[in-house]
Amino acid sequence: MATSIARFSRRALTPNPIRRFFATSAALATNAEAPKPKLTVSPSPDRAKWDYRGQRQIIPLGQWLPKVAVDAYVAPNVVLAGQVTVWDGSSVWNGAVLRGDLNKITLGFCANVQERCVVHAAWSSPTGLPAETLIDRYVTVGAYSLLRSCTIEPECIIGQHSILMEGSLVETRSILEAGSVVPPGRRIPSGELWGGNPARFIRTLTNEETLEIPKLAVAINHLSGDYFSEFLPYSTVYLEVEKFKKSLGIAV
Amino acid sequence: MVMGRALYSVGFWIRETGQALDRLGCRLQGKNHFREQLSRHRTLMNVFDKSPSVDKQAFVAPSASLIGNVHVGPASSIWYGCVLRGDANSISVGAGTNIQDNTLVHVAKSNLSGKVLPTLIGDNVTIGHSAVLHGCTVEDEAYIGASATVLDGAHVEKQAMVESGALVRQNTRIPSGEVWGGNPARFLRKVTEEEKAFFSSSAVDYSNLAQVHAVENTKNLDETDFKKLLYKKNSRDAEYDSVLSDLSLSENVPKSA
Repeated sequence: MATSIARFSRRALTPNPIRRFFATSAALATNAEAPKPKLTVSPSPDRAKWDYRGQRQIIPLGQWLPKVAVDAYVAPNVVLAGQVTVWDGSSVWNGAVLRGDLNKITLGFCANVQERCVVHAAWSSPTGLPAETLIDRYVTVGAYSLLRSCTIEPECIIGQHSILMEGSLVETRSILEAGSVVPPGRRIPSGELWGGNPARFIRTLTNEETLEIPKLAVAINHLSGDYFSEFLPYSTVYLEVEKFKKSLGIAV
Repeated sequence: MVMGRALYSVGFWIRETGQALDRLGCRLQGKNHFREQLSRHRTLMNVFDKSPSVDKQAFVAPSASLIGNVHVGPASSIWYGCVLRGDANSISVGAGTNIQDNTLVHVAKSNLSGKVLPTLIGDNVTIGHSAVLHGCTVEDEAYIGASATVLDGAHVEKQAMVESGALVRQNTRIPSGEVWGGNPARFLRKVTEEEKAFFSSSAVDYSNLAQVHAVENTKNLDETDFKKLLYKKNSRDAEYDSVLSDLSLSENVPKSA
């Protein structure tokens, strides 16, 4: 009785390692066919999915606080982080991100950064110019542009969706066409129209055209005045917050 | 004590008066008035049963939107204004990757070839500002330049670089260690050794920068108010005095060389 059980169990045991070997090799074969990225994500239980405050507009980093002049219009969904200075009369339109965390960003008098632009400054620039991003007075930066560590001298127009890489310099009274890509360290000379990817010389600007450049900046300044007057100096959201908290039973 | 209570109630009277005036002003504005509401922007938004899962060490900016099936690995960062829309398929972002401001990561639901592709982004990838990634695969330590567009089915291999402003067309395969650029993207040159080192170091730098931003963004009202108070106290700093002296200079003084 005992021997039969032993023989039975031995027969049950021995094919198992062979079967297991085949099973693992089959598993390896299927794994080799369809490799899936092994991502071990350990989510935190107290990550906020939604914050009733939304995104803060002005984000100080360390000892730097972004400074906005009293009559500059900065749209509510703009993010100013780090060393950003927005001087008088300028405007930053919806969705723009001005991230001065590595270096300084300055937006001069009556300059405007239009919708969805990203202005960033790198640590150091390949040319000798300081790596901060300086947008001087009366400059219009078109929508969806990307400005990275560039210097834009007074009275320029940067076309929409243009990309200005590190160390580039756009001299006074020049216009960049829409969609132009300015490679790192490129200098756009004064009074000329450049465009394309990479940016190439197209033609010089006539005197009438150069006179129009500050007029465009002033026109956008007037427009931003309308938007600026839409907003109260201090938001009345705190009333909604108090109502919200009361409804949830949280102490106000 | 009595003085304190008196001031407290006077303060309340003034606040109620202000709120009543605010309501009066709204009525005067008639139908054009606007009452500000709480922000309904959802940083992590789920579409029915597909919800994002983000590692606890990753930084997700509050103004970013992670929608649907999105997985973000540890030490990664998703910066301001990004939209990662994983509603039709899945998006998977590896560890140590940074997706910089204003980028758009979509998944293809239907494209010309009919294949539906998840977007896979590997570890230590740097995706520059304002990029657009649509149903593509990006392997580890690649570098997608600022404002680049990578379309469906494209495959960017390890340590490859896509130049700024490039448009990588559908189903393009960018081999390892090459720089592609232009519109449409074509082979430009090979990646130099120092650029390869730069890719990995930039990923690490961005992770550290992300931690600074993460700390700042998760502060609550008391901490931010305290910081504002500190700034107000120290507002007359060296820069303020230098600005005052700048105003007295003539206009013809040249700026930086």
